[in-house]
Amino acid sequence: MNTNPSEATAPAYNRSRQAREAETLLDRIQDDFPDNPQAMRYFYDLFRRVYCQGEPVKHEGTLVGTTCIHAPEELIYAFGATPVRLCNGSYHYDQIGADFMPAKSCPLVKATLGSLHAKAAVPDTKSLELIVNPTTCDQKTKASAMIEAMGYRVHDLELPPAKESEEARLYWQRSVRRLALRLRELTGRKLTRNNLRQAMARTARAQTAFRTLHQLRKSAPALFLGKDAFLVTNAYFFDDLDRWTAAVERLNAELQLRQMEGFQAAQKRAPRILFTGSPPIFPNLKLPLLIEEAGGVVVADETCSANRMLYDMTAVDEWLLNDMVDGLADRYLKPCTCPIFTRNDDRQRRLLQLAADFHVDGVVYQAFAGCQVYEMEYRSIADVLAAQGIPMLYVETDYSPDDMGQLSTRIEAFLESIKTRKRNAR
Amino acid sequence: MKKIRDAINGVDLRRFRFLLQLFFFVLLVYGGYFAVNLGQSLPTFACGFNDAGRGGICYLLPLQHQLAMSWGTLFGWAGLMVLQGFLFFALWFFILNKGWCGYICPLGTIQDWITSLRTRLGVRYSRYTEGQFRRLSLIKYLLLALMILIPLGIGGALLPHDMGTPFCDICPGRMIIPMFTGDFSQLTIDFSTKTTMVMTALGMLVTGLFLAGAFFKKRFFCFFCPMSALHYLLSKPALLKLKKDGAKCTRCGDCYRVCDMEIREIADEVKEPRIMQDDCIMCLKCVAHCPEQGALKATFAGIPIFESTEQGFIKRMTKGHHDEHKPQ
Repeated sequence: MNTNPSEATAPAYNRSRQAREAETLLDRIQDDFPDNPQAMRYFYDLFRRVYCQGEPVKHEGTLVGTTCIHAPEELIYAFGATPVRLCNGSYHYDQIGADFMPAKSCPLVKATLGSLHAKAAVPDTKSLELIVNPTTCDQKTKASAMIEAMGYRVHDLELPPAKESEEARLYWQRSVRRLALRLRELTGRKLTRNNLRQAMARTARAQTAFRTLHQLRKSAPALFLGKDAFLVTNAYFFDDLDRWTAAVERLNAELQLRQMEGFQAAQKRAPRILFTGSPPIFPNLKLPLLIEEAGGVVVADETCSANRMLYDMTAVDEWLLNDMVDGLADRYLKPCTCPIFTRNDDRQRRLLQLAADFHVDGVVYQAFAGCQVYEMEYRSIADVLAAQGIPMLYVETDYSPDDMGQLSTRIEAFLESIKTRKRNAR
Repeated sequence: MKKIRDAINGVDLRRFRFLLQLFFFVLLVYGGYFAVNLGQSLPTFACGFNDAGRGGICYLLPLQHQLAMSWGTLFGWAGLMVLQGFLFFALWFFILNKGWCGYICPLGTIQDWITSLRTRLGVRYSRYTEGQFRRLSLIKYLLLALMILIPLGIGGALLPHDMGTPFCDICPGRMIIPMFTGDFSQLTIDFSTKTTMVMTALGMLVTGLFLAGAFFKKRFFCFFCPMSALHYLLSKPALLKLKKDGAKCTRCGDCYRVCDMEIREIADEVKEPRIMQDDCIMCLKCVAHCPEQGALKATFAGIPIFESTEQGFIKRMTKGHHDEHKPQ
């Protein structure tokens, strides 16, 4: 789509700002830590090529943007199209997007709008032929019309505000079927049992690879750092699906080898952190990186840029089109722990289970300033964790680098208090 | 030990069930030819009207017969005989719990075969709405009550004698199962009296509904089965159990969506570990389709025998992704 307004920032400047942001972060991720896994090189290179050098990622068929994890990507693949997730983590685009939204809005939504508005954004937004915008939070819902006004074609994927009731489930299943119709119109292809099954096999393989990686992070002392884990899952946003999966499988093989050799990615007593809340999206990996630079290790997460996006898998009973599509719909609604839904018991239970399974010492809760739903769930999550004796650090932040100094002090203090607790417990 | 456990948890449940169901179908429908006789207290539809082939008899047939004795006899010494029959029934049942429905019941197996036929033809299933489901779920208790009260009424001379075994009259098993041994004689309307005429005509209708219903709806008849209701009333002390660890559940609903009986609680309930509901047929498909390690499990006398695992789930789903020809 080439109809972006011309008043957007000039491409060269744009690329350089974005590239600098990415490069600074990648340097920190690569150089501040010794013994990065060899297999991570693929991901470091990928981000350097795409974000720093502006190299386009090749894609098959029609390019369909998605603005949330609720868009069933198997459907998009089944129509021979390629999904790319548009949720953006760049401060540069956050500033551009600020023109569209009220002052106190979510930086993720602003950055997404900014990147769509800008001319030469990374990842590539020029060739988008459709944007699937699930009606999740208010800000994303309202962004829809703004994106359309920029000249993109938008499909509002209607998501119910509750997920418990059977009515909500059926409403969502219908909504997903309507998306399939829209995609058929767009691509001129037909959805068949075979092409959907092939698409599902591809994502299932990717999810399996993710789950293996996820399980490997249970090992104590830590085998793998969270900053790399977030980079891996962030690559899933735009990378070629099969290439991504193969790279993760290589990474898993290497980590398994390291596990046998008794390798330690962090100190034995490094506080093990569970990360929750607003999603770290490249290049805004500020918080996880600060945690690990301060000597902690992020062993698990409950965010929509990693675990929530890739963990849950689809079950099918009868491999007929109706059961497969409904199965997909269920997978994208039922297990989701997004705070936009009426209740958050599932999120509480998920956090407690992750904390237990991954021997977590503390939880870091990131809330983007302006992301009301995460801000609103802060209390309930804090109470549940406190009841279990799990310390939590609540951090309200955004994409700007201004609060880095202040944050690193708070994180250091938090990690120090965890270490003291552990020492006293012994 | 761990290897054996992994092998069991990674089993291709569809195939395993198919073979086991086939075995029990042959045993109960053709066992008579091989001198198999498991008695007349079986907690499953081993139809007694299948004279030649039956390998045992469904308890509901003798139960209705016995309850129709005159009250003087029934509430006298003969009552002990009734109790004895019930005891044997209960003992059989305690071993497998509702596993009798999901793995042994010949009528259930026939429905599963009809479902296979449907998926091979590429015809989609239908589901009940939640409201329909709640209402239909009660019918089996009504049938159970009638099945006990009508014979009692006959015994007390309050009802005509020709109502005999009222549930058998309308049970599709009576017409369908004997057909497997070449006996089509049940497929008739009995014109001897007005009552028999009405009852057998009703039976024909139910059989027709059974065949049509089972084609579109998985386990169509099981929602109405009075045997299932009777099972549930006795299910607490049974040895085979279905258990759920709510803390491990992500409520992804995978179990609910594969459930033939559309039991929502299996996905939504996270507090009560004893998860088996009245409609459950213990087919254990929910366990096979749960991706969370140890969230669902079947235990026998407290020992876990089949447990949900990530590996097992992935293995079974990968098979589905790559099975080229068969939709099921």
